[in-house]
Amino acid sequence: MAKILIVDDSSTVRDEVAGFLKDNGLDVATAVDGKDGLAKVKADPGLKLVISDVNMPNMDGLTMVEKIRGELKNTTINVIMLTTEGSPSMKERGKAAGIKGWIVKPFNGPAVLESLKKLVA
Amino acid sequence: MTDKLVSKVLILDDGGDASLAIKQFCDESNLVGLKVRKNRLMAVLKSNIDLGAILYSENYGHTPDENADIVLRIHAIRPELPIILRRENDATLDGVNESVRRTFCAAYTLADMSGLKKVIDEYIFSLVYPNALVRGISEITDNILTNQFKQLAVQWDTPYIVRDRVIFGEVFSLIPIESSWCRGYMMLQTEEDAILSILNSHTTFPTSNFRDVNSLLGEITNLIWGGFKNRFIADATAIAANQIQVPLIVNHKHKYISFGTENPQLCFFYTLSDAATGKTVKLYQRFVFNLNWSPEDFKEIVQDTNELMATGELELF
Repeated sequence: MAKILIVDDSSTVRDEVAGFLKDNGLDVATAVDGKDGLAKVKADPGLKLVISDVNMPNMDGLTMVEKIRGELKNTTINVIMLTTEGSPSMKERGKAAGIKGWIVKPFNGPAVLESLKKLVA
Repeated sequence: MTDKLVSKVLILDDGGDASLAIKQFCDESNLVGLKVRKNRLMAVLKSNIDLGAILYSENYGHTPDENADIVLRIHAIRPELPIILRRENDATLDGVNESVRRTFCAAYTLADMSGLKKVIDEYIFSLVYPNALVRGISEITDNILTNQFKQLAVQWDTPYIVRDRVIFGEVFSLIPIESSWCRGYMMLQTEEDAILSILNSHTTFPTSNFRDVNSLLGEITNLIWGGFKNRFIADATAIAANQIQVPLIVNHKHKYISFGTENPQLCFFYTLSDAATGKTVKLYQRFVFNLNWSPEDFKEIVQDTNELMATGELELF
């Protein structure tokens, strides 16, 4: 059962992040946008962590988090944003939506691996 | 590097005295003068060569008819380029044959190069690009390319101004640039085969196809836009609710893109080189501020270094 869901409209990012996490022994699933991510969170109660982009077509990442907490009433799954966005106002919106952390792209796997492992432990 | 922008101009002028004077003028005016053999002229104009203008002598053709024929063909191939006519005695277009007069934007004489300077300022350096913006874009992009292509060396040329609308390569990305001080697009242009070749020689992407190129170019575009926002746009919510848009025209046959404005474009050129294989990728980056350009409101964001998180690191809440 997958433990980490990568949500990003860029296949380059999905491949890069998922490949790194799999190489380091983690179970990974992927979703192509917020709508897809929301459906996969709903379908898989075993997910422990979502790593999501913010700017995506169909549904953005922050709206997805708000729906995970609101519509799905899932308050236990950890969510981290992986995005080019770095403005304080955007982070505040993320905090209000209940995210756990923020990574400004590009993804630096070795720098965050141990923290991610703790979040899915 | 220098923050000073340059622009390439094509010099179609065989006069010996004129060549020296024009070369000196170019050196003093941040222009890179290019020359081309007459029999290669049309082929060069049809190729991808970033130009700001053409300096054309009224004696370039051997006869008035040949002169008219050449300039009409140039204008047909590159109608967006200002063609500036050098005349022997008159710094106006008065008396120029009506059939070709409309192809020229202005005239000048060797006796008074200040007239040419005014035309260059009007047609090429008409928009003021803050040095911090030009330098910042280069730094952001260089950093992202270096991160994305760790096995490649990234080099970039002096940023420059172009007026042509020709698309380089087979694939390009576009992303809207939205802020309170500028609105327009950033465009990245490159060659598909060159990127594929690099990707396929990289073990992470051994069987890449054009969709991988699309995705990679899209992500690089996204990363640059993110860096641009973080460095030059303080608060996205401050963006004026100005939703004016104009149609963009892409003509595939002529590899031509128009943003509905004659404004010069801010252009950057990067070369990614693989020392092991000798392969290179050329990447053109253009900024087209066609919807709003208010550099007087431009401000570079200086963040408290104690608050800065390095990219790629996790900030836990």
